[in-house]
Amino acid sequence: MFDPLFRWLESSAFSVWMRESDSLFAFPGILAAHTIGLGLLAGLSGAFALRLLGVAKGIPPEAFRRFVPLMWIGLWMNLLTGIALLIGYPTKALTNPVFYLKLGLIAIGLVILRAIFRRTGSAQGEMGITKVLAAALLIAWIATITAGRLLAYTYTRLSVDSLPR
Amino acid sequence: MIPFQVELESALRSFTQVAALMRTNWGWPIAESIHFVGLTLLFGSIAAWDLRLVGMAKHVPIAAFHRLIPFAILGFMINAGSGSFFLMTEPDQYVYNPAFQLKMLCVVLAGINVGLFYLTMFRRVNRLGPGVQGPVLARLNGLVSLALWITVIICGRMITFYRPARCRPGQVIGFIADCIVR
Repeated sequence: MFDPLFRWLESSAFSVWMRESDSLFAFPGILAAHTIGLGLLAGLSGAFALRLLGVAKGIPPEAFRRFVPLMWIGLWMNLLTGIALLIGYPTKALTNPVFYLKLGLIAIGLVILRAIFRRTGSAQGEMGITKVLAAALLIAWIATITAGRLLAYTYTRLSVDSLPR
Repeated sequence: MIPFQVELESALRSFTQVAALMRTNWGWPIAESIHFVGLTLLFGSIAAWDLRLVGMAKHVPIAAFHRLIPFAILGFMINAGSGSFFLMTEPDQYVYNPAFQLKMLCVVLAGINVGLFYLTMFRRVNRLGPGVQGPVLARLNGLVSLALWITVIICGRMITFYRPARCRPGQVIGFIADCIVR
């Protein structure tokens, strides 16, 4: 149904560059940047979640606010590199249910992270609920990473004109 | 170097049970997922620590951030374990791969960097109170660590794009030429 859209995207100059360029800054570089963004966002917020769960009690939870700009950098890096990867292989991603699962998990992770920061900002937050949220954040990120990795193995159509696997 | 690589490859190839497990339908994808979760755990905790060393969140004593290090070690162990499974399954794809070689070099350098930190300045730095900037060498150590781990991630992602030609086990003569020259 969306084949005309996929075909249009795949014939765009940027999409062709993503797939066919020999430059390390094309697909390989963008994929690497996507992984570093993952490390910044999920890694730093994951360390924050571990702190809330009781690890490294010497660090005041507010200290992690200093890392929020880096989490934002990670999020923006991955939004932009993710869009670039999507333009490179639109059919591969958009015909795979796992891709939508990944997007949903990212949304859940971000909502949880925002809720956690709101609670740690105001001192009234009950610690029990914060801990549940922190555990949920770790689960959401682990599920996101797993879904992301599985994209390489679960797609059925690589490009609009390739035969189903 | 070359004979060593050939020996290493055949030694890695002897773990046939691991390879059989990895070649099941879900073996490789699951190991990859675990490797990326380990990456996040390692990078997230080491980055928070390194950034404190460099000078962020100065109001928190360095010693407090040091409590995150066990998670970095856990992440490292998860990745050394899952990573070795890839090597035991497709040894020629790693042993002769320049991206993998550079990745391992950076892991070793990061190890030396952290070793130097513990040998030369850990005790002094870990005693510093809140609001104190670490010495220049400690800041440099954090910066080097960050740069090395980012390079490790980049090189890891590059492995796929520098795959050597597939080698057949047991074919020793002419095999190096086949494997290294595409």
